[in-house]
Amino acid sequence: METKEKVQIDWKVVFKLGFILLLISGVAACCLALTNYVTAGTIEEMNIKANTVARQEVLPEATDFEEVPAEDVVKVATEIGMEKPEELLEIYAGKNGGEVVGYTVKTGPGSGFSGEVQVLTGISTDGIITGITIIKHNETPGLGALATGEWNDQFTGKSATEELIVVKGTAKEDSNEIQAITGSTITSKAVTAGVNISIEVYQIMSK
Amino acid sequence: MNFMKNLTRGIIRENPIFVLLLGMCPTLAVTTSAVNGLGMGLATTAVLICSNVVISALRKVIPDNIRIPAFVVIIASFVTIVGMLMKAYLPALDASLGLFIPLIVVNCVILGRAEAFAFGNSVINSFADGLGMGIGFTMALTILGSIREILGAGMIFGFSLFGAAYEPVLLMILPPGAFLTLGLLIGLINWKTKKA
Repeated sequence: METKEKVQIDWKVVFKLGFILLLISGVAACCLALTNYVTAGTIEEMNIKANTVARQEVLPEATDFEEVPAEDVVKVATEIGMEKPEELLEIYAGKNGGEVVGYTVKTGPGSGFSGEVQVLTGISTDGIITGITIIKHNETPGLGALATGEWNDQFTGKSATEELIVVKGTAKEDSNEIQAITGSTITSKAVTAGVNISIEVYQIMSK
Repeated sequence: MNFMKNLTRGIIRENPIFVLLLGMCPTLAVTTSAVNGLGMGLATTAVLICSNVVISALRKVIPDNIRIPAFVVIIASFVTIVGMLMKAYLPALDASLGLFIPLIVVNCVILGRAEAFAFGNSVINSFADGLGMGIGFTMALTILGSIREILGAGMIFGFSLFGAAYEPVLLMILPPGAFLTLGLLIGLINWKTKKA
């Protein structure tokens, strides 16, 4: 049988090393707290501003936006029967002179080529999609990342009564078809999935 | 004199990408465009210089047997600081590099320089080493990004080069393009330096 060699632990050294590491970590933590203190406000402010601009862009009729409380958002998600309720991020009611003129829905379908694609969709109370914009994505530059501006415009004016489908090649006019970006069907489908969730949200909200 | 030697070493003779082959992960992942390569390079350079200087300044204080955890704490702090500053003041760049900034922590160029150079050299020399290695890294990433952007998207720094008639080689901005470009560049550099 092997006899285990007894290891002598020098506790004094252990505590000294631990203390030095604690000291380094403590100083590091202070530096981080300071940077966070300086930048947190700016980051928060910028996020709020970017989101307000985006909402205004997809629902131009509205003059101010009122957030739908988080618990109601969860309720809507269960009512739709979403497989992944966490993909529904925010709902805002767009108002003009106290009257609701439409909704903006932020969705984050995780089915993009490189993970989550955040899509903001505006739908007016007439049941028409007034615009969409991509808030955040991580798609391939030159391919999926082309899902901006012009491509997004084909959603504008679509009816929010039925599900949109992605087609390769040219989409029929006045139909529920969306033309896929060449070489980026996955991204196109992810964006459309986000818009489709928004359509279902709209149908419940407008009841 | 020493300062200049330490500064220039990282740029060509011991270029971290083309010669030392360190930090391959961000190199392959972010060089889909020249701007991304440049941004990642500069962010890494900032972290590299700061961590080299601090580690060199603390080299008498940090005991040998806990140097690695100490390095990691210092490097991770600087990466987090750079990340927060970018989020606050360069939001556009942050949006395209976001995922890769935290990964600078595990970039072996930084830990490698801390261990191989900064822990045994003076602050001023460590600064030069960090700056040189950073320039070398940035240069390599920008070259890779430019080549891939020109071939894969027909653009450079976002400006269209060939007009609409150009059919981009999409492969170049997809992962295989990174391996192909990097392999050919290393081959070219080896061929040139062997001949001299």
